Amino acid sequence: MAPMRPTSCAPAAVVVLCATVLAAHAQAPKDDGDAPAILVSRQLAARAHLAAGDLVTLGSDPQGSRRATFRVAGIYEPTPDPMRFTATRLEARMHLPDLVDLVADPADPASREAVTSINVRLTDPADAAAFVPQLSARTPGIAARPTSRARDDDPFAVLDRFHVAISAVTMAGGTAFLLALMVIRAEERRETVGILRLLGISRRTLLLTVAIEGVAIAALGAVFGILLAFATEGLVNRIFQARYDTALVFVRVTPSIAARSVLIAAPLGIVAGIAASWTLLGRDVLSIVRR
Amino acid sequence: MSALHLAWRTVRRYRAQTLLAIAGVAVIGALLFDMLLLSRGLLLSFADLLERAGYDVRIVGGGGMTLRMPIPDSAAIAGTLRGLPEIEKVALVRILPARIAARSGASAPSVALIGVSGAASGVWTIVSGVDLDRAPGEPCPVIVGRSLAAALGVAPGDEVRINAEPAGVRSAMPPIACRIAGIGRFAFGGAGDDTVATTLEALHRASGEDRPGDADLILAASRSDAGSGAAVAAIQRARPGLAVYSNDEVIEQFNRNGFAYFRQISLVLSSLTMVFAFLLVATLLTVSVNQRLGEIAALRAIGIGRRRVAAMLLWESALLVGVGGLLALPLGELLALELDRILRQMPGLPEQLHFFVFEPRALAVHAAVLVVTAVAAAAYPMWVASRLPIAATLRREVVG
Repeated sequence: MAPMRPTSCAPAAVVVLCATVLAAHAQAPKDDGDAPAILVSRQLAARAHLAAGDLVTLGSDPQGSRRATFRVAGIYEPTPDPMRFTATRLEARMHLPDLVDLVADPADPASREAVTSINVRLTDPADAAAFVPQLSARTPGIAARPTSRARDDDPFAVLDRFHVAISAVTMAGGTAFLLALMVIRAEERRETVGILRLLGISRRTLLLTVAIEGVAIAALGAVFGILLAFATEGLVNRIFQARYDTALVFVRVTPSIAARSVLIAAPLGIVAGIAASWTLLGRDVLSIVRR
Repeated sequence: MSALHLAWRTVRRYRAQTLLAIAGVAVIGALLFDMLLLSRGLLLSFADLLERAGYDVRIVGGGGMTLRMPIPDSAAIAGTLRGLPEIEKVALVRILPARIAARSGASAPSVALIGVSGAASGVWTIVSGVDLDRAPGEPCPVIVGRSLAAALGVAPGDEVRINAEPAGVRSAMPPIACRIAGIGRFAFGGAGDDTVATTLEALHRASGEDRPGDADLILAASRSDAGSGAAVAAIQRARPGLAVYSNDEVIEQFNRNGFAYFRQISLVLSSLTMVFAFLLVATLLTVSVNQRLGEIAALRAIGIGRRRVAAMLLWESALLVGVGGLLALPLGELLALELDRILRQMPGLPEQLHFFVFEPRALAVHAAVLVVTAVAAAAYPMWVASRLPIAATLRREVVG
């Protein structure tokens, strides 16, 4: 097999520094055109009262024994990361050589050669599964893994299954509710049904009527639920976005979800309607009118 | 006839709707109960894992609890701690990435090698074989995680070869021979994690470093008469600037950051289920009262007072919610097992961590919520029944 050719295989040009290992101190702007540029996250800028053009000192240890001055070139919104939405994104991005200058151990020349990770983009992403063992075989000790997760290894797939299970339980409760309501409704109209039967209207027609009513109730309920979800979607997102200081979207009512809700609710309505009326319509017409 | 007796006769008379209402309340109640278990389940389970280790104070490096960074001068710090009267025992923990190979040729290129000073009982549970401190004379005894042992096809007594690599260092050192003392289950190890534990000395030899490296974590157990708070204060006095946390502080930190999602989803879902249960019972009772207006007017006409009729409806609500709520408990336990199984499939999660953990508080809140729901759901039907005009209703019923 021909070796796969990565389109880029260089350490990332910018890195993210965790604020827990950095001390950021704003200084009064001064004429220091040589200070290397950095970007700071919106959250860090707010916390440290930074603005574009400010000079800051970053240190790689809490004592500040190794530190350097940088100019804030801009403020960025960190890409929302569902895996880290509870973390406060106090981050700065800088060019890799600047980071190496800041953190490298002067006594260890090899420390300037080490990076935490190397991102590789393959010409054909489908080759990822084959590329990983090839790279591992050529450079023992390197841990290479594709950035895309398998479905089984994805925490969001697990959360998805959890939400589906919760929905199924809620649906079971809702079905019992609908069924109880339809039983009451059927019992309420016992005499009307008896009279209709005496007038010659068939069981089938009456069952159809009840089924249509069940569908209508279930569909109206589903539509109301969808409208409620649409109406509260923004509110829920705003609350969670404010709580976690993130641009992540937590709730999104998509047309597919709305369609699925209606498609599940309608058959449930039919079943509930027919089941509730079955005992009544199955009886002899005289017993329905209590004769 | 008492209000309870009247209510009992009513629910027996309308059996189908009563059973369906109870089924609905039981299902919704089970979900509510599960959300209450979820709201603090992770926290309780996490606290249990921390407590089980037998150490109640943790000292970490500059990266705090989330980033594992070596603690400079950790051996000297451990010596200082051992001299403090508030401290009973101290353990040093160092973790390095390593390669492990069995004699059969099976190998794992990336395992977490944990070096511990002394046997840190509680950090792992021995499944078979013996603990590190019960392998005297063995220069490199190791405890291998269950899944790794199964993958390598090794058992206690077998020899494995280990090569540890400190972060950022490419090592060409030959591996060292170690003997498996036991197979273990690591408290914070994931189901698929490859973890190996050994002594600090053996880890140092496996790394090939010229001098022992600093520990990533120092565990300390406070004396029972001092407590973790006093131990933390004593450590901070003895070595100012150290990042020292009691287990309670660690739990609080994780409560704020790590577990917030599940706490909030449980709050949202328990609120929704409560509203759902209220709507269910209130609607059923209201429709049921409207269906029985003539019957209620007749009861009033034969001398049964407003209060007793209202109490009857309250009892009806209490019976529906009470029986449904009781059934919700075993149903909720079963559902919690399944939901816990689903959530524990998350990658990287400690094998022994659970999302749904029972505590008496959850039961008390469940009961209180259901009582409030029963009373609130009965309020409107009670109001309708107590304001019913007797004569007009009876006349309408007869004429209708």
